[in-house]
Amino acid sequence: MSKLLFAWDYSSYPGAKTYPNLFQPIRIGNLTIPNRIKYAATEDNFNDPEGFITDADVAYMRARAEGVVGGLCVMQGVYMDLGRQGQGYVGQAAAWHDRFVPGLKRIADAIHDERAVAGFQLMHCGRVGAVEVERCQAPSYVPQRLRVFKPVEAMSKEDIRRGVEEHADAARRGIEAGFDVMEISGIVGYLLSNFISSYTNRRTDEYGGDIRGRMRFAVEVIQAVKAVCGTDVPLGIRLCCEELLDDVRGNSPAESIASYQIAEEAGVDYISVTAGWQESIVPVISRDVPMGSWLHLAKRAKEHVKVPIQMAYRLFKPDLPDRAIGAGELDVWEMCRPMIADPLMPKKVLEGREEDIRFCVACNLCLARLFRDAPMTCYINPRCAHEHDPRFTPQPAAEPKTVLVVGAGPAGLECAYVAAQRGHEVHVYDRRPVVGGTLNEAARAPYGDEELLTCRDYQKTQCEKAGVEFHLGVEVTPERIAEEAPDTVVLATGPVYVRGQGAGFERDNVVNVLDVMAGTAAVGARVVVWGNRKPGIGVALKLAREGKRVTLVGRNRSAGFDINPSFKWRYMIYLRQNKVTAYNDCDIEEIQDGAVVVRTYDGYRFPVACDTVVVTERERNDALKPAVQAEGIELFVIGDALVPRNLSSAVHDGYRIGLRI
Amino acid sequence: MPVDAEKEITGLWRDLHGAQDEIGRTYYRWRKAALELAGPGVEPLEVGLKAAGVIGAEIGRGLLPRLNWLKGEDAWLRSLAGAIAAQWTRHGAVVKLQKGASATEVLLEWTRCPWPTFAKEYGASMEEDVRCCDRILEAILEDVNLFFNVHYRIETTKAIPRGQGCCVRRLYKAE
Repeated sequence: MSKLLFAWDYSSYPGAKTYPNLFQPIRIGNLTIPNRIKYAATEDNFNDPEGFITDADVAYMRARAEGVVGGLCVMQGVYMDLGRQGQGYVGQAAAWHDRFVPGLKRIADAIHDERAVAGFQLMHCGRVGAVEVERCQAPSYVPQRLRVFKPVEAMSKEDIRRGVEEHADAARRGIEAGFDVMEISGIVGYLLSNFISSYTNRRTDEYGGDIRGRMRFAVEVIQAVKAVCGTDVPLGIRLCCEELLDDVRGNSPAESIASYQIAEEAGVDYISVTAGWQESIVPVISRDVPMGSWLHLAKRAKEHVKVPIQMAYRLFKPDLPDRAIGAGELDVWEMCRPMIADPLMPKKVLEGREEDIRFCVACNLCLARLFRDAPMTCYINPRCAHEHDPRFTPQPAAEPKTVLVVGAGPAGLECAYVAAQRGHEVHVYDRRPVVGGTLNEAARAPYGDEELLTCRDYQKTQCEKAGVEFHLGVEVTPERIAEEAPDTVVLATGPVYVRGQGAGFERDNVVNVLDVMAGTAAVGARVVVWGNRKPGIGVALKLAREGKRVTLVGRNRSAGFDINPSFKWRYMIYLRQNKVTAYNDCDIEEIQDGAVVVRTYDGYRFPVACDTVVVTERERNDALKPAVQAEGIELFVIGDALVPRNLSSAVHDGYRIGLRI
Repeated sequence: MPVDAEKEITGLWRDLHGAQDEIGRTYYRWRKAALELAGPGVEPLEVGLKAAGVIGAEIGRGLLPRLNWLKGEDAWLRSLAGAIAAQWTRHGAVVKLQKGASATEVLLEWTRCPWPTFAKEYGASMEEDVRCCDRILEAILEDVNLFFNVHYRIETTKAIPRGQGCCVRRLYKAE
């Protein structure tokens, strides 16, 4: 007999008609879950240094539980050992002692308050663990590709036995805390995956050898946890369907599928499909990988096992999983990053409010921060990580004001709708006839940057719904500010593009990056892009893909200084693939006929053949500032007008000032 | 056959940087070996200072045939300061010389230096990095002072590893 924890009737919601497969119930073990939506376990580094749950984590999970509208909401994986070798993140939740149960119960209760199904995940981080201690554990001593990780210690049989026991003990604590579903993490380089992979398991005892031997540890864990769960609490496992470790002789796809079959035999009630490891050298989940690229893995899994198959991995729009579920290629739509960017994303899908979704732009800033021991945040969701803090929630303004926002780019739009939602009368001016500012040009860069426009579209919709008045195609002058006499002016005018100090920057063959991205500037066959931050890289890649010979010259010590490290390495690959030469820590000394002279930081000079120089260097924009100050009007400067940075900074600036006005 | 100046110069430049990286890493690999041999009872700073003394003395002796007192003390001092700066420039630092408050004083300013980065990479403290540089400089001057029968000193007023943005050292004639 299957158990239903919370009854949900989706029949009256428009989303259930548009995406009928997403809002069908599914049976997992002896539990019926009302829909096919799952918030998949994600570390957040919000918990205290000892692993106790914090208010921030409870509020974060409560928001995601509301979002899954009755579906499965899984808390972050817990580490389970007193020695902390299984701990991979400084703020990771712990479950190695009963004293952690009350905190864990707060998470389960928060999820249940939203009438969702609470999932508990067991996660020993293996060779990427030991974030607070000196040595991490793995089946064999195999050094990591990335230097950030701790030295590896091969596990003894006693360590293995204790590891199995710790999984079972932690599972019991999860059930005591009130969780309804149990999940084991065996992915991306964590301990179980270390045992399963031929790359990291070189053991010659019964825990090594062929895939069945390498699965022995996983099977023992599954059986021990299953014994704790009984028939009431379904047990799932996350396993790699493709490790993407061919360069270091990782598992073959056939071996990975065999691991699924062995896990099913061992008693799991569902399998969550993943791809790639942290050590993989191919992009997997960033926006340069098209949405839906990994669905074939779910289909492959469905063809080989009978238990329900769940998957996340670039399924950012509901139509993709809905179709896949309808076609029998997937059972449950998992999400991590889409619900970091917008915790209510599936709820908005159900309610037919897709225009209100703030879509993830797959930048991986969230992951980059986790790997560097910082609390998670989101590139485009300024509320993320602040769900517990009322100061980050728009409150009605004490005194409604007239607000003039100059600039309809991401900073200006974000500020405008937040201020308008709080009751201010907001007018947005822009000399361009369209909203979006320089994001319109930035989104023309290759490798998925068109997804950045989802941010513009979201902000525009929110502005319209909040009653923001647009004045597009209108240049704001000091006279207009004096005439309008608003209570507050927000300058979100974007940056000033600067010319270099070298000779020749006044030449006709020196063009602006925005004109090049818009396709309105003539560009020769040999191009030097001046500036090695993201705008420079974007235009360099665009031009290189058009067949130009491109050289990047920039003053920063490395190209992509302003790009988060979890995304930057892909750009470095693409620069190489497109034969873009990068001279970092350099400047242009002189622009001559057919060449520029590049000067290195240590004083060497050399010529680079060049027909066109593209300027991408930016500075803050002080225009209008004196005029506003002269009128004695409250003034805020945000986004690139304040300090040229990136889309994230623009959005965060806009949101915070929108709250402050 | 035309010369591709960009290719040739940038090739050399990259090789130079590769060699500069090896200089730093080689020092720290030897330091690691020395610390392993010395055992847990020895302070890494002591080992570093000992090495710095050896390095500085070697450099100082190497300068003796190249410094010419006959050109006058001003020129001699500029040569000494330039030689010290060049030692770090070869490692990848950017060092500028400035006139001091008197004819017998020169300021050396390191606007960039690779050594703190190597120290971080190999787990050495920032203070060890500063003090070892100081020791090298002192040791350079020991034989130079004896040989030319002068009394020059060098002192650190700012240091990159101390978060001060640049290293500034005052090379001056002690009264």
